[in-house]
Amino acid sequence: MSEFLLYLINGIVIGVINAISAIGVSLIVGIMKVVNFAHGELFIFAGYFSYHLSQSLGLPPLVAMFVAVGLTFLVGLLMEWTLIRPTYGDDMRSLIITFILSIVLQNAALLIFGPYPLKPPALIGGATNLFGLFYYGNQRLISFFISLAVLFLIFYLLKRTWFGKAIRAISQDRQMASMIGIDHWKMNTFSFGLGAALAGVAGVIVAPIFPVTPSGSAAISLTAFVIVVLGGMGSLKGCIIGGLLLGLIENLGAAYISTMYRNIFAFIILILVLVIRPWGLFGQKA
Amino acid sequence: MEKQKLSVLVLAVVFGGMALFPPFLLSQYWLHVMIISLFYVMMASSWNLIAGYTGQVSFAHAAFAGIGAYASGILSVFFGLSPWLGIPIGSAVSALLGLAVGYLCIRMGGIYLSLTTLGFSEILRIIITNEDNWTRGTMGLQVPGLFAEYSKTSYYYLFLVVAILVLILLYRLIHSDLGLSFRAVLNDETAASSSGINTVRIRIIAFTISSAIAGLAGGLYGHYVMLISPDVPSLGQMFLVLAMAVIGGMGSFAGPIIGAFLLEILSEYIRIYGEYHVLFYGLVALTITRFAPDGLMAVAGKFSGKKRVGVETL
Repeated sequence: MSEFLLYLINGIVIGVINAISAIGVSLIVGIMKVVNFAHGELFIFAGYFSYHLSQSLGLPPLVAMFVAVGLTFLVGLLMEWTLIRPTYGDDMRSLIITFILSIVLQNAALLIFGPYPLKPPALIGGATNLFGLFYYGNQRLISFFISLAVLFLIFYLLKRTWFGKAIRAISQDRQMASMIGIDHWKMNTFSFGLGAALAGVAGVIVAPIFPVTPSGSAAISLTAFVIVVLGGMGSLKGCIIGGLLLGLIENLGAAYISTMYRNIFAFIILILVLVIRPWGLFGQKA
Repeated sequence: MEKQKLSVLVLAVVFGGMALFPPFLLSQYWLHVMIISLFYVMMASSWNLIAGYTGQVSFAHAAFAGIGAYASGILSVFFGLSPWLGIPIGSAVSALLGLAVGYLCIRMGGIYLSLTTLGFSEILRIIITNEDNWTRGTMGLQVPGLFAEYSKTSYYYLFLVVAILVLILLYRLIHSDLGLSFRAVLNDETAASSSGINTVRIRIIAFTISSAIAGLAGGLYGHYVMLISPDVPSLGQMFLVLAMAVIGGMGSFAGPIIGAFLLEILSEYIRIYGEYHVLFYGLVALTITRFAPDGLMAVAGKFSGKKRVGVETL
């Protein structure tokens, strides 16, 4: 029983971080109809940034995390400005560009950071006894609370601010939005940066728990994509429910069925969604 | 139309020249390079059929080649089946899986196909690495060759004949009524569907054919190198095929062929720099997609003062 509860909690912790990463993809899909295949690479780059900022430059871990996310945000802005902007309206070209970019970044990471897994320092050590049943790592607990705070911030930003309204206006009707005075070019660039930053947030939160490697990025992208399809393209609520569901299924599946096939569960879910409900849990049926 | 005839003529001369050229004049090493180039010609051209002509990006093309290679390899190693039978069976398995994936995703639109095929490749890699009883995992599966007596010259002619047949098939397909529908779907989906073309069915057919060709190419490749490893269906391999089509010119018939020869031959010269060559190709492909999305074919067209090479020509 206590074992089951442990896997359950692991699933929820990973699920919440998954959700942040998936929102990063979903935001960009919703506004620009662009799938960022380099999402996983931005995630691992943030992990590496945070490692080197704290290990090589000696910044305090929390500051390093913030700076790393800021850097990923800048990378996102730069990506949109140089590569994505000319492809609007041509879905295929943007898919190809982000795929090539993912290969370039993967190889660059291998070259710059080396093939070995790197782990930024933990914010906190030790473990806490949960429910009198087992000890749970404090780093994981604090990651969970940071993730919840980030999710709350995203919701606030998208549902309660002018920026969020503008973003929703653009995803519903780009022309109309620009007519009422929303600069949709600037919004595109900023949203792409935000999507990249969310990959970065997930990256810096995960890296102290599961170290980053250049070869791990494909699985990270894939997890985010499955959640977006499962939750329904462009749905925020879908990302959170989908992220939690996938976190739980992967952790329980890995524990009780097979560890080697952890990523296969995600793919099976993807296929099931495409067969049963291709528009996802909270997506709109076309 | 004139230009189209010209490009066919050029291709005919190139491949005719390759057929007549006595392969024993090439060193064994360069013969090998030519054989691998022909494998990539098949891969890049068939990927171009879906990406360049129907506008859908599949990231599972290398995966389908891997399925063809492993299916035929496993049949020959564990069941003693002749590779000559195994390769067509492998190609059929790829076609069936392509049909299933295509049927599931294409009705939902291009983004879904790209996401699912990426997942498919990754999952295939995991299965192949873990099921080492059947695949020998990362060590690679040793399979028999196609000829009783190993000779690169025989393989060279075999690859050449099959590549030419595949190219003729692709060319006739593109210039048939079906091909007309492909292009109609690419240019204006709404117009195509309102003039009675079942856009989803057309795309599924193209995807299935292209998967079958990938399976065929993969099977031949496997029985040529005689060691099938998870590198065959890897995303790295997928990138190389995509880069060949993109750099040569997507949506043009000759583009991917030129891209395949160019990158494979160039690889031999820059391979000494190790892993840098993938990064280098990535940067080149990125620059081309950004600044010359129709590839080198279009750039060449511009410099010779001709019209932009589009889907409708070459």
